[in-house]
Amino acid sequence: MSLRQPQSERLTLVKPATEAAVECTRGGSLVLVGVNHTTAPLEVRERLAIPAARLADAIRTLAHQPGVREALILSTCNRVEFVTWQDEATGPANPGLLRFLHEYFAVAADTVEPHLYEFREREAVRHLFRVASSLDSMVVGEPQILGQVKDSYTVAREVGAVSTTLEPLFQRAFSVAKRVRTETQIGSSSVSIASVAVDLARKIFGSLQGKTVLLVGAGKMSELAARHLIQQGATSILVTNRTQEKASVIAGHIAEQISQQIASDANAIACTTEVIPFEQLHAQASRADIVITSTGAEGHIFTKAHGQQFLTARRNRPMFFIDIAVPRDIDPKMNQVEGCFVYDIDDLQQVAAAHLADRSRESAAAEKIVSVEVEKYREHLQTREAVPAILALQQNAESLRQAELARAARRLADLTPEQQDAVDSLTRSLTAKLLHPQIVDLRKKSE
Amino acid sequence: MTLLWLRFAVLLYGVAALAVLPAALYDRPRWSQFAVPTAIAAALFHFVSLAETLNAAHHRLPVETHELQSLLALILTLAFLAVYTWYRSVSIGVFVLPIVFILATLAAFRPGEETFSAPVQTGWIFLHIVLLLAAYAALVVSLLASLLYLIQERRLKSKSSRLRFLPPLDTPLETIDQIALRTLLFGLPCMTAGLLIGSVIAQANYGARYFSDPKILLTFGLWIAYVAMIFIRRASGLRGRRAVYLSSFVILVVLFVWAANQFSAVHKFPTP
Repeated sequence: MSLRQPQSERLTLVKPATEAAVECTRGGSLVLVGVNHTTAPLEVRERLAIPAARLADAIRTLAHQPGVREALILSTCNRVEFVTWQDEATGPANPGLLRFLHEYFAVAADTVEPHLYEFREREAVRHLFRVASSLDSMVVGEPQILGQVKDSYTVAREVGAVSTTLEPLFQRAFSVAKRVRTETQIGSSSVSIASVAVDLARKIFGSLQGKTVLLVGAGKMSELAARHLIQQGATSILVTNRTQEKASVIAGHIAEQISQQIASDANAIACTTEVIPFEQLHAQASRADIVITSTGAEGHIFTKAHGQQFLTARRNRPMFFIDIAVPRDIDPKMNQVEGCFVYDIDDLQQVAAAHLADRSRESAAAEKIVSVEVEKYREHLQTREAVPAILALQQNAESLRQAELARAARRLADLTPEQQDAVDSLTRSLTAKLLHPQIVDLRKKSE
Repeated sequence: MTLLWLRFAVLLYGVAALAVLPAALYDRPRWSQFAVPTAIAAALFHFVSLAETLNAAHHRLPVETHELQSLLALILTLAFLAVYTWYRSVSIGVFVLPIVFILATLAAFRPGEETFSAPVQTGWIFLHIVLLLAAYAALVVSLLASLLYLIQERRLKSKSSRLRFLPPLDTPLETIDQIALRTLLFGLPCMTAGLLIGSVIAQANYGARYFSDPKILLTFGLWIAYVAMIFIRRASGLRGRRAVYLSSFVILVVLFVWAANQFSAVHKFPTP
């Protein structure tokens, strides 16, 4: 079986001799095998995808494979990854893990294997930290991945598939992700058209609570933007369309979404919908703080003069126009009117692209944090590995000391309790001093 | 010693003025966690310095120019902190803190040479001075907020990446507008009360001739301009460029009032 790595991550699977030597002392191996959006097409990813309801069963099955000591599976729409702490594997991957892949998913080896990547030890830690920090995501910096990793970890804990090795590793991954979020701007700006529109609305109005949104025309994108605005607190949606029935359908659809939102979220704010006749569009538009247009009209529906008229009616309160129609529904000159902010689809895409570029720049800083944290984690593990040897050495020395004291007990019997305490203290101190260089040496070796 | 405290406050104001830039202009909110405490520390040292100065001079009134500059700077800092407390915005500090820094520097390194000759030194005079300085500070903050509005509006209108060098402010347009209007609404009662107190004291000490002085007439003109500005802003929802023009005009009147001190026969800072 040949395993590959994502091309974007120029990582090496060949370990330095010293690192390999250190790992041997741990008597186990951290292995991460998986596919993601860069290595496997959707057809392959969906064959391996595990629904949330079956995740516990899949993790339990994987953890019971021969040679696997601890296991966790991360399954999202962009990746399926199997993280295992297993016996030292001699080959490229544990046979139990491979058998699990083939048997559990019932897929032919040649379907999956060309798309699989494998990371071990330090590189597996690095990969995990990068995934949790959203550096390996399709949209770098997106916040959902950390929640997904946490969910998988919770399931694995519940079925008892993670313990002394994977548990601290994942805890560390969460704190690294938090550090990346706090110390870089990687997730601070929006990169989707709808969220960019919401961000801009917030820059104009601050809170969107109590704001009125007018939807002119039908369109998936405008509905999506409206839904985002409702989630942010907009409390009134006006809908208009050349065909009144279609406007009613859209309004009904939005009202349904709002009631679902209210049913699922106790904090959701109630929002009203209202259909206005298309002929009254210009008379009623000034009621709206945010106007989203997506009609198929060939000319401009709103002109600069309309903008001036609306602003007068609103006593100069600002209006935000989001024009996602092609050809455009709003005359770009309306942007010249003080208080009117007009963004067309290209403007929104430009902002989204600029934000994406910002995230890429920030990802360099995030990668540095991940590298530092990987190194810290390695040092932590190595220090932890030296502890049993040091303890054994100390216990051995202590038993020797006790044996020698017992042998000399008869000769020391005449001593007063104070003198016996002094002898005890003297031998204890001598033992500690004799052991000190060896303990220091052990610690140094483990580093 | 009093100047030492003030100089230390000046240093802190300078640091706060710099720290507020990344917070407000480069979307680095963590800098505000540094800028605000620094400004608070500066205000505390500033207050100690001012209190000691007045105490050492054996008067409770800020009658020397540097004392007035110092008090105005302190009130402006308090205005900045109040805006931060209510709106969690440090944007206004981009302009306010440098002004405070300059005013405090003048007071700290060029001690006043002119003294206002107050006929009666009572708590009412003190109130008169503080209220009028608070009104002036409100005017300044309102003008600066209007300027910020203009910058944010331009930034949002420009859209394209060619203006990326002009980063967005951390404060939404409507919040900036509220800051501009509410500071004016705060300043009007201060100015009204300050003028009324001054008028009553003047009437008691000088009689009607006090009110024919050009400086005093200008001050009442300023009050009318202030009221008119609030009325226009509220009635027409004036924002942006025109709001800046209006605020600038009233600030100009304030400057005339200050300049009129030199020509006033009854209300001026004579050189000792």
